[in-house]
Amino acid sequence: MTRRSRSWLPYLLILLAFAFLVLSEAGLLGPFNNALAYIVAPVERGLSGLFQNIGELFKTVRDVRELQETVDYLQEENTALRIENIRLREQYVAENEQLRALLNFSEENPTYSLVGANIVERGCEIYPCGEVLGQGLNPYLRYVIINAGSRDGVAVGMPVIAGGATLVGRVAQVSRQQAYVQLVNDPTSEVAVMLQGSRISGMLISRPDGTLLMTQILPDETVEVGEIVITAGLGGLLPKGLILGQVESITYQEAALFQEAVIRPAIDFRRLEVLLVITDFPRQPMQIRLEEP
Amino acid sequence: MSLYFGIPILLLGAVLQSIWLEDVRILGGRPDLVMLLVITWAIIRGLDEGVLWGFVGGLFCDLLSGGPFGVWSVALTLVAFLVGQPWVHSLGPTSIRLAMMAGLGTLAAHHLLLGMLILLGYPVDWGWSLQTIIGPAALLNFLLSPLSFMALVWFHQRGQRRGGLSL
Repeated sequence: MTRRSRSWLPYLLILLAFAFLVLSEAGLLGPFNNALAYIVAPVERGLSGLFQNIGELFKTVRDVRELQETVDYLQEENTALRIENIRLREQYVAENEQLRALLNFSEENPTYSLVGANIVERGCEIYPCGEVLGQGLNPYLRYVIINAGSRDGVAVGMPVIAGGATLVGRVAQVSRQQAYVQLVNDPTSEVAVMLQGSRISGMLISRPDGTLLMTQILPDETVEVGEIVITAGLGGLLPKGLILGQVESITYQEAALFQEAVIRPAIDFRRLEVLLVITDFPRQPMQIRLEEP
Repeated sequence: MSLYFGIPILLLGAVLQSIWLEDVRILGGRPDLVMLLVITWAIIRGLDEGVLWGFVGGLFCDLLSGGPFGVWSVALTLVAFLVGQPWVHSLGPTSIRLAMMAGLGTLAAHHLLLGMLILLGYPVDWGWSLQTIIGPAALLNFLLSPLSFMALVWFHQRGQRRGGLSL
């Protein structure tokens, strides 16, 4: 069955494969990726639609479908209400607590001169809506591919959300027709977060197995199980207040510098269907004023 | 030229892997369709065409993966290179050879992938990867190798009859 080997071809292809890897790391493969995406994207889109249709066929038993729709509707409503509840708490309760703390501070320090300032209005310009075409093929990294690309205004670094205000990840690579979203549970993902109730801050990272961890929690902080983890908005890379999950358990070792909390994600990353890319959002201005002598 | 049908087959395999097999869980894992196709073709047609399929299949996998572009191309090309070596043909009948190479080749390819990710600075958990990804994938590719053999040997025979499909 085998044929006589042309000795140069395998070695040439191996060299070429390594060259791709090196050029990719050097960031020089963008045009090549875009060209290949023109071939692959339509096939992927077509087959994705076909598979969705086939999947629908399996749900043809009428009663089951109706029941499913009702359950879906109630689940969506429940999720929307929970998210609304969390956002309201974030907006009013936490703000109220902060204002009370500020008031206490001003009362306790009557000699200080204080200037009040409002946080810049929260709000997001959310535009391209991306349908998840497929999961990234590398089983050790966690990406999804969405059918919104640079032609829709999507750019690298933009936050991607699902189900209202749940952060899914950030855009890692973009071609004209599609974008690769690095999920929050990718092993190289890092998000500055805080706990909604206690305002304790930390970093959300992921273990290689996909477990979410909140790290860099100071040892003297008291973390409660069940607290909601939200984005801290530090650095202006992500909007503040996007939901990530809930504290499931806390670990602290005497010798360790920080506490760690295992976070239960707010969404199932394997069941993502439609996502929204936040193309712009108001960032809190950071200005350092040097007082003149 | 085997790539006349190789490109559509590999593209279809990669897309199916991305949109369908990612959600499938058999024996706690999932098979690696493109890897299985590449290994099978390398066993049926030998070194040159195996490596060519490995390279093209790797490109499609890279395109449908996030992260560094090229890791799949390197892994699949190298595995096809190993599987297509002449000494592999002395390991017994084709079906036994294929099943063995499907399992061992999958193990080798995943170890290459992990090795490259470590070199590129990605965190890797070997124990978890072996238990939940590599082990099941190698076992499933081993078990599914007769199916891929039956499918690809059909193309191989058609190619031989027409005389125009060889590299």
